[in-house]
Amino acid sequence: MTQLDKALEVKGLTKKYGDFYAVNNMSFHVEPGEIFGLLGPNGAGKTTIISNIVTLETPTEGDVLVFGHNVQEEPRKAKSLTGIVPQEIVNHGFFNLEEVLIFHSGYYGLSNNRDRIDFLIDRLGLKEHRHKKVKQLSGGMKRRLLIAKALVHSPKLLLLDEPTAGVDIELRESLWKFVQELRSDGVSVLLTTHYLEEAEELCDRVGIIHHGELRKIGPTNSLVKEFTQRNVSLKLKTAAKVESQFLIEQLQENLRFRIPSEMGLGELLHSAHLSLDDIDDMQIVEGNLEEAFLRVLGESKA
Amino acid sequence: MNKNLKWTPFMMLYWREVRRFSRVAVQTLLAPAVNTTLYLLIFGVSIGRAIKMEEGITYLGFLIPGLIMMGCLNNAFSNASSSVAGSKSAGELEDYKSSPLSSQQIIWALSAGGVSRGLLVSVVTMVVGELFYLNQHGEFLPINNVFLLFYFLLVGGFAFGMMGLSAAIWARSFDHLSAVGNFVLLPLIYLGGVFYSIDNLPGFWQKVSLANPLLYLINGVRYAILGVSDVSLGVSVLVTLIMLLVFLSISVWSLARGSFHRW
Repeated sequence: MTQLDKALEVKGLTKKYGDFYAVNNMSFHVEPGEIFGLLGPNGAGKTTIISNIVTLETPTEGDVLVFGHNVQEEPRKAKSLTGIVPQEIVNHGFFNLEEVLIFHSGYYGLSNNRDRIDFLIDRLGLKEHRHKKVKQLSGGMKRRLLIAKALVHSPKLLLLDEPTAGVDIELRESLWKFVQELRSDGVSVLLTTHYLEEAEELCDRVGIIHHGELRKIGPTNSLVKEFTQRNVSLKLKTAAKVESQFLIEQLQENLRFRIPSEMGLGELLHSAHLSLDDIDDMQIVEGNLEEAFLRVLGESKA
Repeated sequence: MNKNLKWTPFMMLYWREVRRFSRVAVQTLLAPAVNTTLYLLIFGVSIGRAIKMEEGITYLGFLIPGLIMMGCLNNAFSNASSSVAGSKSAGELEDYKSSPLSSQQIIWALSAGGVSRGLLVSVVTMVVGELFYLNQHGEFLPINNVFLLFYFLLVGGFAFGMMGLSAAIWARSFDHLSAVGNFVLLPLIYLGGVFYSIDNLPGFWQKVSLANPLLYLINGVRYAILGVSDVSLGVSVLVTLIMLLVFLSISVWSLARGSFHRW
């Protein structure tokens, strides 16, 4: 592991099942200390990519490197640096929460990991459940346990595979806060989600994938800028005929404009021959990631 | 925080296996003890009186070593296989693959878990058997060679633990797995000479029996306890060692090629 190594590098990854390409020639990377989001509809290939990183699947072609270690050639080094929160709940019928964390620490070579386990149990609000059997826990608690498991060995790269699927708002927000905290401690995060609000809130950069292919990649806010428009609603003091190429609707003194995301309000007013004195009220709705996402998917279908 | 990827993952997974079967001791230890008692009562005591054996050996004495080995093999197999099958249905098996646990660590930890349960069942069987023997013959059944007894129990237990692990890796459901137990394992065990000496079989079936590797395990234990056996000791030691290596190879191949995914 050197200073220059990416936290994660996926190079030309292809995974075929028979004739079906689950992932097709995918390349992207995650910088150290970055939260990177992989967005895509169900079945886009997000989980297949995660499975290839932790060697649950073997690539048909291409390489995956974690901090410079090829996961196929040096699996134990790569996996020691990686923590994974799988999409589906894992049950542990025979054991209680604390035992599960002790065993899991052991799989990562840690025999005496009491301090870290106590910290995670405390931080994730699992204290009163630590001696409960896993099957007695609620869905939300089981999900917190998955996160604790992924972090027992203080990984440098955290893979979150749709961590908030089926999770209530309170837990979702506390998870987001926790992920941001981990990032500020230097953990790099790969997050897959189809909740775009989540990606917009958390991710420094996102990649949009569809049918196993990477359609667009970039910093979250520049994707939003590139693929969305601003909606501007104006209420004039008195109704007047307005002419502008950006005008989409006029109902007497109420006007609606759609302008490019880089266009300023002054420029709009100028082009429509309006001044601030004509305006009684105004509202601007900025484009969001969801809009950008739908446009990227829409363009790629065309 | 001590980090040791060489031994800790193995030790922890082995410890998990022991905890798992001790949580359900009624199923894993008491049930085999009841089985053994029934076999000894029905075959060893009541039917056994009518069976003529070689000089100096009673049918009860002949049966006890067979039951000890049978208990060990059955339990080593079912411990490893039900652990893997249970972990598959819970999604836990994926944890093994995505953590730094190596294939060798998984194989040896799971089969050692099976051996531990197998040995405990063997001890229970031995104790129950000795009590029956004392009751019928007024003395305990002596053990001819303790070292050989351990050798055959360990080799057989590890081999069957590995077999259980491999079967569960390939199985697609619990039904699939129980079919392996019922159609492969059970016939091999019963035809391996637990209840009879192959000398009593017609010539053709004697030859068929010699192809069953379990015959050598069961007769190995019989030699270790009684000092007599249907096949020579050297052949038994060699065949069982080869069997262990074959099952080790099968389990390495199974973990490399089989599925860790949840059912």
